[in-house]
Amino acid sequence: MKSAPTTIINKLGLHARAATRLVNRATAFKSDINLVRGQRSVNAKSIMGVLTLAASMGTELVILADGPDEEEAVAALLKLINDRFGEEQ
Amino acid sequence: MTLALAGHGVARGIAIGRCHLVIRNELEIGEHRIVASEVEDEIRRYQDAVEAARKQLRELAGRMDRGAAAPAQEILQTHIMMLDDSTLQRNTEEHIRKELCNAEWALQTQLEAVLSEFRNLDDEYIRTRGEDIGQVVRLVQGKLAAEDSDRHLEGIPDRLADTLVIASDLTPSELSALFERGVGGIVTEHGGPHSHAAIMASSLGVPAVLGVRRARSLLREGETLILDGGKGLVYASPDNTIRKHYQEVQAETRRFREALEKIRDLPASSLDGRRVVLMANAERSTEIDQAIQSGADGIGLYRTEFLFMDGGPPDESEQLAHYRSAVEAMDGRPLTIRTLDLGADKLPEVLDFSEPVRNANPALGLRAIRLCLRDSAQFKIQLRAILRASGHGPVRCLVPMITNLEEITKVRSLLDEARAELTHEGLAFDHDLPLGAMIEVPAAALALGELGRHLDFISVGTNDLLQYALAADRVDEQVAHLYELQHPGVLRLMQHIFREAGRMKLPASVCGEAAGDRRYTRLLLALGLRDFSMSPGKLLEVKQVIRNTDIGRATAALTRWLSDPTDHQTPLLEALDASQT
Repeated sequence: MKSAPTTIINKLGLHARAATRLVNRATAFKSDINLVRGQRSVNAKSIMGVLTLAASMGTELVILADGPDEEEAVAALLKLINDRFGEEQ
Repeated sequence: MTLALAGHGVARGIAIGRCHLVIRNELEIGEHRIVASEVEDEIRRYQDAVEAARKQLRELAGRMDRGAAAPAQEILQTHIMMLDDSTLQRNTEEHIRKELCNAEWALQTQLEAVLSEFRNLDDEYIRTRGEDIGQVVRLVQGKLAAEDSDRHLEGIPDRLADTLVIASDLTPSELSALFERGVGGIVTEHGGPHSHAAIMASSLGVPAVLGVRRARSLLREGETLILDGGKGLVYASPDNTIRKHYQEVQAETRRFREALEKIRDLPASSLDGRRVVLMANAERSTEIDQAIQSGADGIGLYRTEFLFMDGGPPDESEQLAHYRSAVEAMDGRPLTIRTLDLGADKLPEVLDFSEPVRNANPALGLRAIRLCLRDSAQFKIQLRAILRASGHGPVRCLVPMITNLEEITKVRSLLDEARAELTHEGLAFDHDLPLGAMIEVPAAALALGELGRHLDFISVGTNDLLQYALAADRVDEQVAHLYELQHPGVLRLMQHIFREAGRMKLPASVCGEAAGDRRYTRLLLALGLRDFSMSPGKLLEVKQVIRNTDIGRATAALTRWLSDPTDHQTPLLEALDASQT
């Protein structure tokens, strides 16, 4: 099990396009990946789960991954979030 | 009497045409029991329906891509992802298994559960996404009912040019089907400015007013309607004054477009006879096609990030295939390939960092050429692919975010290595491949006199140059007002760049957004720019301004204005326009 705290820093937050990219990236890994916001935990490979987090800019999340590629999965998602999902700068 | 209905104007444009009402047969979802032995068949029936829905969405998305409507295509991709959502699929299958009910009902139950979660969210934009899920579920339910999903669009003629379609709501797939038939405009009873129908209509350029309550009972089949997609108004039985007003607005728009059409094949020459080069920024092959149709002199910026974004880094042959097809499409006009312009955090596969890069300030961190030089073996693969593409037509190599001479020297020596390898391998390439730098770092702009001697051309990335020069991020609402091309400091910086480039006979272009914004065309000409590169859709608009500008007069007006920028009643852009008359 690997975990890492992070903050959503892109202006639009986890809106449809960002959520689509996040799910796309998460799905590439074998590990189970969850995003935790406060008491709520959702499957990072489920677009509906990720959308219902309603994570706007400034939301603090924890990425939890469990499986053979958990390290890479956490690193990849952190990078995606920190790079503002490739939103135009 | 004119009847005016108001809604959300979500996609600009005026449409005048005949009203066509779409009466959707809502699927009636009933529950019925199955026996245990039927469970596997029912699940398979469900999976087949999902597969059929996926196929339909994929085909639509594929056609959209060719239409160069990227946001519309992304929405369809999100719908496909919702369709494939493992939670929804697993829960539906479990529901069939445990409750022994039909797939339609199981899906409906799951939908209700998901929607109740969405309804409780505070964020209006995210709440609206619940509608998307409802649309995706209805599509699958339609497939389960073996219904042709476009059934309620039946009876609508194939050509819809003068038809305005009035519906309860429209899914992105229905909207794209209407778009393909050339629909004149769209009115729906439901949906707001955040709905995907809104984004889609705007991306496809279909005038649309959404959220017009009871539109289908208030409007009559076949009557003439006027739709104002900018103001969010629909007029039925418009009186003569209104009709005349909108006919004039329409005629004006048409005249503007026709005027642009007329200059398609004319040169981009100013009134005082100076020739300006107009190039296009491109990434997808559709944009290259569009550039050629708009009469672009070449591609001034061919982005390569998309090759690296999905999955691992592309190998040399994959890159070469893309570059080569772009060069060949340009048919003798130059293609400027920009090397990878990404931040470190976007490329987990390329660089193997032991710890994730947590960078407080990515705009000032390891990115673009800084990142590429960290992994020169990987970078050389791209340089080799670019060199090999130059064996098929005129190619220029553009390096983003150059800060100092050392970076240029390193790129040059990597290019030399690549050339030696290719010669040894007997592969063709252009021995004189021009090497250019994107000028985005203010210090590099001020040191152009030194850096320029080692370059064959430059391209000014105004988006980043302004952000760095003004120390303001334009997407940050709190400081966006500081982001301004007309700041005297920015103007002097740009003037310096074009003067130095002119003195050194160094070709200089601008490829940032300012280049494609017709409001700034005169200002850029006055600053000394003669080589623009922009989104292909903007080429004709900018060309029109150039053809109506006396550059000498504009330059004189700018000089006057800059002599004391605080001492002016007239804003700069107005002063430039006034100088023309």
